[in-house]
Amino acid sequence: MDAPMTPEQSLRVIERMIDQAKQSFSRLSFYFLLWGVLLTLAMTATHVLADEAQALRYGAPWAVAGLLGGALSSWYGSRQSRKEQVLNPMDRIIHWLWASFVIALLLVLFTTLLAGGDPAVPITLMTGIPTFLTGQIMRFRPLVWGGMLFWAAGVAMQLAPDPGTRAAVYCAAMMLGYIVPGILLMRKENGLRPA
Amino acid sequence: MAFAPLDPVLHNQLRLAIVSLLVGVEEADFNHLLTHTGATRGNLSVQIGKLKDAGYILVTKGMRGKYPNTKCRLTAEGLHAFEVYVQAIRGYLGRG
Repeated sequence: MDAPMTPEQSLRVIERMIDQAKQSFSRLSFYFLLWGVLLTLAMTATHVLADEAQALRYGAPWAVAGLLGGALSSWYGSRQSRKEQVLNPMDRIIHWLWASFVIALLLVLFTTLLAGGDPAVPITLMTGIPTFLTGQIMRFRPLVWGGMLFWAAGVAMQLAPDPGTRAAVYCAAMMLGYIVPGILLMRKENGLRPA
Repeated sequence: MAFAPLDPVLHNQLRLAIVSLLVGVEEADFNHLLTHTGATRGNLSVQIGKLKDAGYILVTKGMRGKYPNTKCRLTAEGLHAFEVYVQAIRGYLGRG
């Protein structure tokens, strides 16, 4: 790498390195897969077992999913930050995007529940925002489509004739908006970086 | 037509690669630079030292677990030098 360079070679080095730096995102697939599975299970449990116990009707599956997901995400995040070789400004933006989403989500959740409403539709619509933007920032199309799918799912849930249809739409959105992009992202991450 | 002189610190393939990598990130550690430049450890250390001496990068040495960890970050001076270098290169290529 010490040979004299022509201007063309210099430009190629710059372009190649900047391209590589652009691809140096933290591993995010874990979060999409984790939350996709947990929230699908929570919705399924809420719908299928609603008649079995009062606690299920009052959101116990969502509380379990939230606490378990939060604990596992924190554990994974701290483990990853110890291993990260690079601090990318885009990672920081994505981190704060999701942090602000969680704050807004909790506020919507509590205010809607206090007013006696169902937060499923506003939360589904809101979920589309960070998913869509993460996809745009990372230039990863499946997440962009996933974000748009959450918006469509929120509208479909609002118009759904019964709770069963609403639950099915939510689960389908989680599957196609989080889990499938999560699997594709994991494959991309594994291809980009050696294990 | 007079061409702008190229900064001799940056006009080296490995040093230019290091600075170009650091332009896109806030901070990168030694292993990241090693992976992406394809350089040897020894050569990378030497060139990082030269960039540090020129004031183009900030080098912090710490520990990650039981192992030493060297982190590099581009300084404002380094970023300015890189921008001037890119402008000069564009001039040579007739794109300025």
